[in-house]
Amino acid sequence: MISKLWRIARHEYERNVFKRSFVLALLSVPLMIAVIVGVGFFMASREVNNTPLGYVDHAGLLANPIPAPLAGSANRVDLIPFDGEAAARTALEAGDIQAYYVVAAHYFSTRRVDLYYLKAPGNNATRQFYDFMQINLLAGRSSLGADVARQAALLGDKVTVRSLDGSRHVPSGGPTFGIIMPLLIGFTFVFLLLMNSGYLMQAVVDEKENRTIEVLVTSASPTQLIGGKVLGVVAISFTQLAVWTITSILAVAVAHHLGIDWLQDLSLDWGTVLAAAGLAIPAYVMACALMAAAGAMIVSAHESQAAGMPFAVLHLAPLYLAWAIVMTPNALLPTILSFLPFTTLLTVTLRNIFTAVPAWQVAAAIAVQAACAVGAIWLAGRAFRLGMLRYGRRLRLRELLREGPP
Amino acid sequence: MHAVSVSHIAKSFGATHAILDVSFDVGRGEIFGLLGPNGAGKTTTIRTILDIFKPDRGQVSVMGGPMTEQKKDRIGYMPEERGLYQDIPLDRCLLYLASLKGVPDAEARRRLEGYLERFDLAAHRRKKVKELSKGMQQKAQIINTILHRPELIIIDEPFAALDPVNTQLVKDLIRELRDQGVTILMSTHQMHQVEELCDRILLINDGRDVLYGSLDEIRRRYSGRAILARAAGDLPDVPGAVRLLPGAEPPARAGNGTVKLALSDGITPQAVLWSLLSQGAAVEEFQIAVPTLDEIFIQVVIA
Repeated sequence: MISKLWRIARHEYERNVFKRSFVLALLSVPLMIAVIVGVGFFMASREVNNTPLGYVDHAGLLANPIPAPLAGSANRVDLIPFDGEAAARTALEAGDIQAYYVVAAHYFSTRRVDLYYLKAPGNNATRQFYDFMQINLLAGRSSLGADVARQAALLGDKVTVRSLDGSRHVPSGGPTFGIIMPLLIGFTFVFLLLMNSGYLMQAVVDEKENRTIEVLVTSASPTQLIGGKVLGVVAISFTQLAVWTITSILAVAVAHHLGIDWLQDLSLDWGTVLAAAGLAIPAYVMACALMAAAGAMIVSAHESQAAGMPFAVLHLAPLYLAWAIVMTPNALLPTILSFLPFTTLLTVTLRNIFTAVPAWQVAAAIAVQAACAVGAIWLAGRAFRLGMLRYGRRLRLRELLREGPP
Repeated sequence: MHAVSVSHIAKSFGATHAILDVSFDVGRGEIFGLLGPNGAGKTTTIRTILDIFKPDRGQVSVMGGPMTEQKKDRIGYMPEERGLYQDIPLDRCLLYLASLKGVPDAEARRRLEGYLERFDLAAHRRKKVKELSKGMQQKAQIINTILHRPELIIIDEPFAALDPVNTQLVKDLIRELRDQGVTILMSTHQMHQVEELCDRILLINDGRDVLYGSLDEIRRRYSGRAILARAAGDLPDVPGAVRLLPGAEPPARAGNGTVKLALSDGITPQAVLWSLLSQGAAVEEFQIAVPTLDEIFIQVVIA
């Protein structure tokens, strides 16, 4: 029993993995990641300039300045005050500074600040000057006073926003890699299941189309045949996942080392990661089983693409509704989508970035998804038995649900 | 114990009655022919034996009991709808299918080597199945049916798409397998192959068994009371033996000067032979006229 299951799984695995098209698809993702990281770093490095920045303060706003927040210390720029624009211009032309700002005398009424440069200054420099201005405006105008502003400047972007119940916390710089990780898991699984469950449908249709199925059913049971195919596809997915995970870890490590802000905090929220995995596994099994059922019901490989389309649309539905989910993550629509079998994975992982999805909702969503996976396996077995010998004639849904045993 | 025992099975698909009432036994080590016109229910009967379909009524026993997963490994099946993986090399395809029958890899490779040589496919082993001719694919299918050394072989139209040389090759193989004690259940439309190979037959028509038994017994049953005789020169008249003319019903075989004589009640073939010899006829051929299986098939099906 196990031996045949294993042999069928191995056959499906080798049939797909040792194809040139599969290897190309497998390597395309790491290649894409490498290109994205490379281009991102290249673009970022072009925008960084650590040469000092000058400023001339005619408004007296920066007479006794508080230093800029300590953001991105690796890209920190020294801010040099000048008494007049002529001195600043001389320094610019001498290459001592990359640019200089002139804060207008009537700044408080006009908010005018002029920037002078020979070559556009680095983003790190301009960002740091804005932080510098902001913190000094806060010190001068806030009722909280200079001490609070000074403290905020020292903290920089190390401020963490926590929800009142303590279940969620987000750094002021926005969601970190760790927070987005569950959504990445969700996307990866949806991508994998859309890609690989298609293999399963194709395998079933091929065996019907080339008439191998009649020989196979006299060699193994329908359970072994479907189970072996699902195992084979799961093994294919693990291969892809392993290659992509290793590549991603390398990419993240490189990006972290290069100082890309977004990837500095790599701590994971294991609760949301486990929730994503708990939803992804039954979602994957369900998708595979449904694709196998679809393969058993249709007539030819030609129809398989059309048959797979509704599944793809349903799985990706949360993306079409992403705006509603992000803006009101605890409203009725996102909550309902969290329980529907096709939309649960992406909806819950997306909601988890912007809210703390209640534990009971996650547990219920996993239970619903697991029940749907079991139902899909039953349906696949039934479709396989009823549809496997229908050459040239499609098995209708009504027949699938009503007809007796073959 | 029979290799296969089918007892009053019936099977319907919706409003279509594929089998109404079919019963037969296949003895161990015999070549059994399953015959019938298109749509008679042969394939459904075979699929029911193999447990692909469950009968609505009746019972099927294979090798002493109901079909089990273990028994599948002892059966070789070549369906009417031929099927092999088209996009993988021939040897890989056959080795995979043999592995599903529980044959260890090394043993399967060893056996495959011999069969590929015998069926003249050794040079094509690395070719994808789809690159092989229809006849080659048919031979590959036959190899797949016997590679795991089954005790029971069920083959649907084994000679379709084969040229005379390969037809002879397959016939020799079938006889060889029978001599080794393998039971063969063969479904075919080629009556001369059935006459040549089968020990017993079952004729199915409209989902019912209409003719069942050994070939000799069936032929005798349908032979009627007639003899075929040929002599050097004219064949003298014999009292009680009416000479049938060409075109008569049943038709006289007039080829080679052979004459078909219908015998009246009370006249035996021996009496006719004695009468011919006593009249001085130089008898060159004298035999009981038995109908061909083709003739019996048509007679039964039309009836």
